[in-house]
Amino acid sequence: MKLTIDETRCKGCNLCTKVCPYKIFVEGKKPNLRGIVVPDLDRPERCANCRLQRLYGRTLCGVCQLTCPDQAIHWEDEQPYEPMKVAIEY
Amino acid sequence: MTFEDWFRVDRLPHIYCAGCGNGTVINCTLAAVDEMGWNKKETVFVSGIGCSSRAPGYIMTDSLHTTHGRALAFATGVKLANPALNIVVFTGDGDLAAIGGNHFIHACRRNIDITVVCMNNQIYGMTGGQGSPTTPIGCLSTTTPYGSAEPAFDLCELAIAAGANYVARWTSYHVKEFERAVKAGLETPGFSFIEALVQCPTYFGRRNKFKEVTDQVEYLKTHAILRAKRDRLIEKGERIPDDMFIIGELARRNRPAMGVKL
Ligand SMILES: Cc1ncc(C[n+]2csc(CCOP(=O)(O)OP(=O)(O)O)c2C)c(N)n1
Ligand code: SF4
Ligand code: SF4
Ligand code: SF4
Repeated sequence: MKLTIDETRCKGCNLCTKVCPYKIFVEGKKPNLRGIVVPDLDRPERCANCRLQRLYGRTLCGVCQLTCPDQAIHWEDEQPYEPMKVAIEY
Repeated sequence: MTFEDWFRVDRLPHIYCAGCGNGTVINCTLAAVDEMGWNKKETVFVSGIGCSSRAPGYIMTDSLHTTHGRALAFATGVKLANPALNIVVFTGDGDLAAIGGNHFIHACRRNIDITVVCMNNQIYGMTGGQGSPTTPIGCLSTTTPYGSAEPAFDLCELAIAAGANYVARWTSYHVKEFERAVKAGLETPGFSFIEALVQCPTYFGRRNKFKEVTDQVEYLKTHAILRAKRDRLIEKGERIPDDMFIIGELARRNRPAMGVKL
């Protein structure tokens, strides 16, 4: 699964950069078309939910999604499947 | 189903300011409602007036957006007319404790079977940042330009004293714990009161020197203390700073309740 930020909803509050234990969200640099600085994703493949959601059949962690006040964080199916680019960190 | 399926996506994005904690509280509450496995036809969200009270408008169920302070009066009516419905009330600190204070204590006293989620941003958000009954001493607002001089209400203590069956307090930083508390509240027959301290970056944050949204959330995180930990510190004879507040489950009991589904 792939982590995405919905740019039509995000208001750039940066709360997601604060709560992710892997620090996947980092403050963005330039404003988008709506003038909002949407956070960038730093190697989102590391997210526990991206890797294991299907295997466990439930949301793992998901703190960023619960915290995002604007319902902008989602996971999308990846088609075709992209092999994991990062080794699991312990 | 996930909590996202409860939103009225045609109404999103909502009107809350960037980083407003109310959005987080809606997510967590809906996640708890979703876990209960309730269906949308038998769940009703009720609210009064305020930023926080706009929440039911973004949810795909029947809802009542009532007059200022009267959410609990309307909710009581709905519950007594049809006890089979599950009622969740969204309210703000001004809505619940100022104009709606009497409805609050009497709903607790009657112990009516509803769950109340209070988004306490310690200020009147919608009307431009006036002080509310929960504005802490020393905090700035448009009506307390030199710092509030009055002691603030502790809404959880009030609910416990008035007779609520389940009482808990968390913050918008503690999303998982808050979600679990709401679920426990939904499961408990009788009046359940869950308070969430939330950031209001536009009025509270800006006036009280929280430059970024994250600064105020950091403040909520570092100034929250679990009740058990506070008790341990008191036992050891240590002093707890005045600006700390207690979080966690504060009451769970079984007083006779009203309007419980048979
Ligand atoms: C009878 C009545 N009195 C006053 C108002 C004005 N008013 C609207 S919202 C509000 C305060 C809301 O504060 P709170 O409940 O804390 O919600 P917040 O906006 O902070 O989430 C007031 C006083 C009103 N709408 N109706
Ligand atoms: S689900 Fe958890 S690990 Fe994954 S991005 Fe969100 S906060 Fe980070
Ligand atoms: S928490 Fe949500 S709204 Fe805020 S910056 Fe992150 S994605 Fe955007
Ligand atoms: S004024 Fe405060 S409570 Fe109202 S939407 Fe803005 S941040 Fe939220």
